[in-house]
Amino acid sequence: MEQPESMPNAPRTVVEIDLTVISAEALLKTCHWFSRDFICEIRNRNEHTADVFLTPRSGASAADLAGARDAFTTSAIDFALRERIEAKTSGIRDLLLAKAFSESGVLEDAPEGVFSDPVEEMKPDGMFKILSNSSR
Amino acid sequence: MARSFYPPEQFAAAPAAVHLLPFRFTRLNGKELLVSEAGEFLFAPQGTVQSLVAEHIDANSELYRDLKAKHFVYDDSSSPLLDVLATKVRTKFDHICGGTKLHIFVVTLRCEHSCDYCQVSRRTPNRGEFDMSTATADRAIFMMMESPAREVTLEIQGGEPLLAFDVIQYIIPRARKLAGEKGKNLDIVVCSNLACVTDDILNYFRDEGVKVSTSLDGPAFLHNKNRPRPGHDSYEKAVEGIERSRAILGMESVAALMTTTATSLDYAVEIVDEYVRREFHSIFLRPISPYGFAVKTRHRTGYEMGRFLEFYKKGLAHILKVNRGGYRIAEVYTQILLTKILTPHGTRYVDMQSPAGEAWNVLVYNYDGVVYASDESRMLAEMNDWTFRLGNVHRDTRRTLFTGDPALRMFQASCNQALAGCSDCAFQSYCAADPVYHHATQGDMYGNRPTSGFCARNMEVIRHLFSMIEEDDRETMRILWSWVTGEPAIQEGVECA
Repeated sequence: MEQPESMPNAPRTVVEIDLTVISAEALLKTCHWFSRDFICEIRNRNEHTADVFLTPRSGASAADLAGARDAFTTSAIDFALRERIEAKTSGIRDLLLAKAFSESGVLEDAPEGVFSDPVEEMKPDGMFKILSNSSR
Repeated sequence: MARSFYPPEQFAAAPAAVHLLPFRFTRLNGKELLVSEAGEFLFAPQGTVQSLVAEHIDANSELYRDLKAKHFVYDDSSSPLLDVLATKVRTKFDHICGGTKLHIFVVTLRCEHSCDYCQVSRRTPNRGEFDMSTATADRAIFMMMESPAREVTLEIQGGEPLLAFDVIQYIIPRARKLAGEKGKNLDIVVCSNLACVTDDILNYFRDEGVKVSTSLDGPAFLHNKNRPRPGHDSYEKAVEGIERSRAILGMESVAALMTTTATSLDYAVEIVDEYVRREFHSIFLRPISPYGFAVKTRHRTGYEMGRFLEFYKKGLAHILKVNRGGYRIAEVYTQILLTKILTPHGTRYVDMQSPAGEAWNVLVYNYDGVVYASDESRMLAEMNDWTFRLGNVHRDTRRTLFTGDPALRMFQASCNQALAGCSDCAFQSYCAADPVYHHATQGDMYGNRPTSGFCARNMEVIRHLFSMIEEDDRETMRILWSWVTGEPAIQEGVECA
């Protein structure tokens, strides 16, 4: 495996990423958070696999590097999970926020089901009438 | 004859399909912490999120019932109760309703202190050209009362505002009169170091219902080091002023704030003990602001955020110990965050809001008529950075302040829901954006969260608080809940009436 060109002799670790599980976006978000402590270089090995070279910005022991490798993998999986949650919930989230901040009430749901009082409906001059909701 | 009941599964079939509602998550202490769009949270075993995404959750489990109750999932037997959840989201964002509530009037830049960390440049005490004119005060009061908010707070500060007491006496009755005409409730707070306070001034404040907020950085050696003035007696003046103010205004009308300098970091316990000795019931462990004069003197006053977090944790631990000993004192930042975490509500604390509180919830009217988006924005202007200068009371209206380029540029970076690093963050509901801080410290209103001191502080403090919640020590949680509710902590063994 080749050294990244930026820091050829620096201690580093490499994380293999399965791009069929972790999307490019999830990988970039992971690198974004690791960029404080590491220089992150991504190299696509092939269509399905990428190698991420993590080079510490300051000194790090072998144990630190091993820990960083594990943390990077966990973080990448978490970002992949977040993407899947978002894919499953983005529609309902948009509706939720629209409802939360709608002043007009146009997005209020009418109550489910049919509600009426047949006895009241039979009285032509009743003071109160509870009318059927069945026309919805 | 013995009777038995069928198991619960006999009464309701397991749902055919489980649907997710939006949520974010993080890992904490070997568990997964799930947070809903409304800020409700749940600690769950490792693997729960994976199971939810794969729709392999046991619908008969206790965990499933918790997930359903806290709006993380819904199924065929329940509607998503979207209106209920929407109401909770709306409640959390209550701070964006109603218009600007906090209006800061900088009545003078004059001050007799020369604190290293002071957020504005000091002027000598007798240079009247740095006082607010009556014409500027009139326009600022008018603009303040143009806010649609029914509850407004007038915060008078400086410099040292008591050096311009005549300006204060001009502003207060006019603000009261206009508030009455507009049907607004008006609170008035004067922020003063109290070195120049007199009984006449305090009697006036009492008659006008004015509250006082002062500075107390800790015990005498620390306070006097942080806050030099002629005579080296800032602490003695502050303590004397606090006692006189309490005697005339009442205990509840006098508050104190501290600022954490590099020197303060070694004295968390001593600072808390000073607040207890002075009979305060709240203390705000605040980091130094990276603005204004503090930037010039950061080699003396500045420090890494990691050191502040150690200070905060040590201070909080000691505050809890003091509470366990029977004296009630709350840490204000903890109180603010716990209110967001443990209740459906947001808070009025403008530095921790998304959309950011700048302009939206606070406006600063400088002595010269310039209007800034926040006090920190004014501090930046003292360093010749005018990015957050929204306009001028003599030339602008409330509408032009809010629709000008400076405001619109800032608003674009004001929602953490749309910021890199924040949009996926489990703590988004409890945190903020703060474009002014990120502009000041990183040269970019949007900011880079991995290297942001703001992010480091809030992530770590929130994680620390969640660790305490997860640990669920009864005594600690009783104290923390008492801070949130404002009620005294219920003592062990005392029955409720």
